[in-house]
Amino acid sequence: MSYAYLFKYIIIGDTGVGKSCLLLQFTDKRFQPVHDLTIGVEFGARMITIDNKPIKLQIWDTAGQESFRSITRSYYRGAAGALLVYDITRRETFNHLASWLEDARQHANANMTIMLIGNKCDLAHRRAVSTEEGEQFAKEHGLIFMEASAKTAQNVEEAFIKTAATIYKKIQDGVFDVSNESYGIKVGYGGIPGPSGNRDGPSAAGGTCCS
Amino acid sequence: MLESELHDLSDDADYAASQQQGSASVMLRSDSAKQSSPHEQDDAEVLFSKDNVAIHPTQFASERISGRLKLIKQGSSLFMTWVPYKGHSSEANLSEKDRSLYTIRAVPFTDIRSIRRHTPALGWQYIIVVLSSGLAYPPLYFYSGGVKEFLATIKQNILLVRSAEDANVFLVNDFQNTLQRTLSSLELPRAVSVACGPSNLSVDEPNSPSFNDNQERTNSGANNLSASVPQFHGRPKHKVNDPRDISIQVLEKFSLVTRFARETTSQLFGENQNNGFSGYERRTRIQPNLDQPKKSTDIAEKVPAENPVIPDPKPLDKLSLVWGKPRQPPLDSPEWTAFLDSEGRVTDSEALRKRIFYGGLEHNLRKEVWGLILGYYAYDSTYAEREFLMSVKKSEYETIKNQWQSISKAQAKRFTKFRERKGLIEKDVVRTDRSLAFYEGDDNPNITVMRDILLTYSFYNFDLGYCQGMSDLLAPILFVMGDESEAFWCFVALLERLGPNFNRDQNGMHSQLFALSKLVELLDCPLHNYFQQHDCLNYFFCFRWVLIQFKREFEFEKTMRLWEVLWTHYPSEHLHLYVCVAILKQYRNKIMGEGMDFDNLLKFINELSGQIDLDASLRDAEALCICAGENGAACIPPGTPPSMPIDDGSFYNQLEDEIL
Repeated sequence: MSYAYLFKYIIIGDTGVGKSCLLLQFTDKRFQPVHDLTIGVEFGARMITIDNKPIKLQIWDTAGQESFRSITRSYYRGAAGALLVYDITRRETFNHLASWLEDARQHANANMTIMLIGNKCDLAHRRAVSTEEGEQFAKEHGLIFMEASAKTAQNVEEAFIKTAATIYKKIQDGVFDVSNESYGIKVGYGGIPGPSGNRDGPSAAGGTCCS
Repeated sequence: MLESELHDLSDDADYAASQQQGSASVMLRSDSAKQSSPHEQDDAEVLFSKDNVAIHPTQFASERISGRLKLIKQGSSLFMTWVPYKGHSSEANLSEKDRSLYTIRAVPFTDIRSIRRHTPALGWQYIIVVLSSGLAYPPLYFYSGGVKEFLATIKQNILLVRSAEDANVFLVNDFQNTLQRTLSSLELPRAVSVACGPSNLSVDEPNSPSFNDNQERTNSGANNLSASVPQFHGRPKHKVNDPRDISIQVLEKFSLVTRFARETTSQLFGENQNNGFSGYERRTRIQPNLDQPKKSTDIAEKVPAENPVIPDPKPLDKLSLVWGKPRQPPLDSPEWTAFLDSEGRVTDSEALRKRIFYGGLEHNLRKEVWGLILGYYAYDSTYAEREFLMSVKKSEYETIKNQWQSISKAQAKRFTKFRERKGLIEKDVVRTDRSLAFYEGDDNPNITVMRDILLTYSFYNFDLGYCQGMSDLLAPILFVMGDESEAFWCFVALLERLGPNFNRDQNGMHSQLFALSKLVELLDCPLHNYFQQHDCLNYFFCFRWVLIQFKREFEFEKTMRLWEVLWTHYPSEHLHLYVCVAILKQYRNKIMGEGMDFDNLLKFINELSGQIDLDASLRDAEALCICAGENGAACIPPGTPPSMPIDDGSFYNQLEDEIL
């Protein structure tokens, strides 16, 4: 299917916070409580529309366990967006956010858009992290923030799309050189590229092979 | 540059004699030709026919398929056929299908690159026919003699020249063009290489002074091949790379094949490898093979990345047709009983492992046999001893299990490590194979058993603890063993081998992925170079394959089949790495053709889940393992899982013996 842009997303966070369930809810609009744990990485993709432009999201869903971190780090390369997920019912998953963020800052490109998601907000009665704490953390670290539930689908669509809208705005503002794929953005054939003026520079230089 | 001179056979007195001898007997017209080969037509003339020419599908002398070898002339073309006799196999296990698998159906000599003859002092003579594509047929053993006549007959009909480097190698060039034939007969150094297609030699100048003789020889083979492939105008880049790549592969296959054939022969006839001749040959022949990957790296590095990828000239299924033994049906109860003595000891564990390697086990036998191949039970234990061990181990298991079961809630509050582990395990067991009837549904007791085993293991081996992926390894074991304690101890035995996969620093994984990269470099240098150029040498795209032994790549039943095959450690304890290479090779053209980068490659490999042909991959892996031989083993550093860590010098002594 044709698209104007392709954005690479990566979903990170502690094991069992619901990363795969968020992805499945977003791509398939269903909740599957019985789901094999993720080894390495899994992929999902979906088309969305922003500003009337078809945008393809290619989403990398990573394994959360600490010992796989060294492998997970290799997946950050070229991601335009990240969903950093914690479980509002398990305090420790919130406490580990800083270390996840450090990984992301170190191994992803500096302009990566990060969305902080407090998942499982349907389990309000077991809440261990308040909404304010989540907001505060996001504010401190310059992240977008939302509480969501992969089970009820609350805010799932919004989280993925808001992230994409933020990335799209950055393109419009000329923050990204979209011809450089290390930013996690590919320009497709199906749409008009953004008005970014720096598009011809490097891409033309790379394309002068005809003789 | 090609410095070698390609001698005509006529200067070989031995050969000349054979020609005289041969010409009298071979020019016969056989009326039976028509019925024996469907490919022969009315105008076909049988120039040579030899009975009792056999192949050995494995290195075991007892397994032999005999048949009739023929040279057939039709028009100006010469063909070779080898058809096994019907219902005449020495091994009952070899079916009609097996026999037909090895049948050589009218191969034109234009497709043949070279013929190597072996005339061991002890044992039967055999030849190895190498095709232009780099493939080789299994050695053909002449049990009734006739190698000389065979070569003489070929010589009378097409140009056959002796290789300058190896007097036992005969290069085949079937020139239809008289001019080229004349040029060739002048024995100009490059005349043979010109072959018959439009020459592309002007752009094919890979021969730096560092190239050795073997490379030169195979280059001519490559040109030969490119000549037989239709050439299109306007694709000069394509041509530049074509012959080089193929030449590398021809060389690779050629040298590997000769080495394997020699080893086969040694085993068949008990040749003493330390006798003067074969000792010498061993050293001199293996050397080029060791050097080869480096050289091809040099070549491939010159190839611009954007060049179109050439079609694979030697699909692996053909390679396996040549070497990989057909898979067998799983071992069944009557056959299993035959492996046991009256008290239940496995009398020949090597034969048992081999049998399981080639066919796996019928499901009802797994419970009894997995413990043996995993090393939990000793092969030479009796029924009674196993029964006894089982009860001893059961109470030992209960003791360890009790260690964590006795931790009270109050104590757990002060025991974070325990709480974390327990929490992690409880989260994961409900996310493991739940679609399987054995584990499905709420409050399934098997989920609890799985949790208990994993938690007990994390106390049995507190240092390793629990890591994701372990539940994937346990699920089939518990499913097969049924019994909690038995499953635990089999799991322990498996983690004796695979424990390092779960080391916190991932060193077990890294060492295997490193060994894998070395194997690909040896067995598919162009693919290795491709990975290098695309920054994929960390092989993280194979991470899941290696971590849990392909558990997520195959359906449950096939996973069990694969595991019991791998656990036999039959051709190699690192066969799983060869399975990785085999699968990568199956998709190498797609990977390179589509120019996949790391991201796309990872995604592609992930999506192969459920698509991989297990039997084909195992056959290919076996073939690759045999082909790679000791060079392959040398790619895998000592102590790479599932090898045990080296704790004394015995391995090195053994290694030294092998090198010397």
